Amino acid sequence: MQEAVLQLRNVTKVIGGRKIVDDLSFDVPAGEVFGFLGPNGAGKTTTIRMIVGLISMSKGEVFVKGISVRKQFEQAMTHIGAIVENPEMYKFLTGYQNLVHFARRHSGVSKQRIDEVVKLLGLQNRIHEKVKRYSLGMRQRLGVAQAILHKPSVLILDEPTNGLDPAGIRELRDYLSKLTKEDGIAVIVSSHLLSEMELMCDRVAIIQGGKLINVRSLQDGHDSMQSKVVIDVSNLPSAYQLLTDSFKDIEVSIIGNQLELKTDKARIPDITRVLVKADFDIYGIFASQQSLEEQFLEMTGGEMVV
Amino acid sequence: MSSLKHLIQNENMKIYRRPRTWLMIGFLVLALALMSGLMKWDEIRYGDDNWKQNMTQQTERLQKDLVDNKDTNPEYTNYLVDEIKLNEYYLANDINPHEQSLWDYVNNSAMLILLITILTVIVAADMIAAEFSWGTIKLLLVGPASRTKIMLSKYIATMGFALLLLIISFVVAFIAGAILQGFSGVSVPELSIGADGLIHESSKFITSLQKYGYSIVSLLMYVTMAFMISAAFRSSTMAIAFSLLFMLVGNSLTAIFSSYEWVKYLLFANIDLTQYLDGATPIRPDMTLGFSVMILAAYYLLFQLVSWILFTRRDVAA
Repeated sequence: MQEAVLQLRNVTKVIGGRKIVDDLSFDVPAGEVFGFLGPNGAGKTTTIRMIVGLISMSKGEVFVKGISVRKQFEQAMTHIGAIVENPEMYKFLTGYQNLVHFARRHSGVSKQRIDEVVKLLGLQNRIHEKVKRYSLGMRQRLGVAQAILHKPSVLILDEPTNGLDPAGIRELRDYLSKLTKEDGIAVIVSSHLLSEMELMCDRVAIIQGGKLINVRSLQDGHDSMQSKVVIDVSNLPSAYQLLTDSFKDIEVSIIGNQLELKTDKARIPDITRVLVKADFDIYGIFASQQSLEEQFLEMTGGEMVV
Repeated sequence: MSSLKHLIQNENMKIYRRPRTWLMIGFLVLALALMSGLMKWDEIRYGDDNWKQNMTQQTERLQKDLVDNKDTNPEYTNYLVDEIKLNEYYLANDINPHEQSLWDYVNNSAMLILLITILTVIVAADMIAAEFSWGTIKLLLVGPASRTKIMLSKYIATMGFALLLLIISFVVAFIAGAILQGFSGVSVPELSIGADGLIHESSKFITSLQKYGYSIVSLLMYVTMAFMISAAFRSSTMAIAFSLLFMLVGNSLTAIFSSYEWVKYLLFANIDLTQYLDGATPIRPDMTLGFSVMILAAYYLLFQLVSWILFTRRDVAA
């Protein structure tokens, strides 16, 4: 694992005696897209706002490249780029003036860098128009431009896909993968759109009621994650009997006129061999990975508010 | 890390790129032009060619008055004596005091500092609150600049705007005066009678600056107050409403309660420092210039402290 550019240590937020965020700790290494998943009100936005200093922490520390956000806010922020919810820009300024505004806060963002970012996000044709005439998709792009001007090490996006059409979401996803792969930026995304997260993220943290329930990897999911194996086989009852006897550790069930096994992909050859030796006719074997949505619902007890 | 200079540049950009700001400046220039025009019109209407004769008559009337009121009121007789002295001086030196010089235009423009205060209050009220209503506060704060620095840059930019309006007011009034009266009056001195009973000549330029100076005290206080309310309630409307309310009712409020001793601790009772000039009486006899300056400084620090605490310590949740 690469060096962690973002570290959360026992981050807690108490408001009015209630723990909104409860003792969160996790690391995000460089070059990773880290998803932050949870039902509404789980504490995603609060956590993200604590990372960027909009909300103070009741307890705990956030380190960006080892710099404490709490103690050395200004230094820590030089490594962070962020879009918190819909990027609201100054509507009476042009897109370019907005970028100049955000560039001035950082030392060493040259005019060339602004032009470069404008080009990267395909904004060059309309950058000198007033932002009030931009569509939401354009504003989102301008928001991303603003966040990456100073080449941050950590990019934080809070509900970035809110209000974006599918094309806009896809576009955003493409920028993100480009940024992480090419520049080695760590990206933290929060969302309640599961399918989106599945496509975007390398790892997701699932939080509920302010607590971290699970952190899991999506990329190497084939090995570590439980998946389903569905087998279309003749003589269903005896096949069921055979498999339950042969594989004591695997949960087998009959769903419709197929067998469903809760197991990893790696076990498929063994299972097939047993069935073939016993002369069963196999019409098909499908390994279906449990979707993030199913896992999520399972973990949060179906408490979804989307 | 952000340098303060760049942050102020940003705040200035946000002030002067708004069409509203230029509307306000235009409004101020218009008000100045209107005032100058009215002054000129007034002068033409009441202008008299035989001012010496009128003044001689007036002096005779004053002398008669003086004889009649010899023992009644020492304050009034003093005033009469001074007036007569001044009139005689005018006649002897061939100075027509009713002839407007361009400095009178500048002097009168100091009255418009009330307007400048209102305009700056509107800008100050928006400085912090508008960032919240625009939703831009999140991006503004998520940067390598501490909140203290951001607040300071906003305050400095607001004061810069006030300074700009003051300079515009001074210069426009000067130019209007020069156009309407010519430059001949530039060096005409301001005459007054000092405590020693002698006639003093002073520069009208200095008098104008003084007048501006006194008005700036209330500008500074009300604008800082608007800034504080903007930071506290995050609402421009409230900041404008409260500041203007205090500006308008402050004076009457002090007048109504002036018999109570605690009135002297109110901001409004101390904000007008001209009450300590010669010939003016303070709201309460026990008030001194030093006392008022101390009270004003205390209020100023309080406003700054409250703004700072509320802006830097509170969570940005919405």
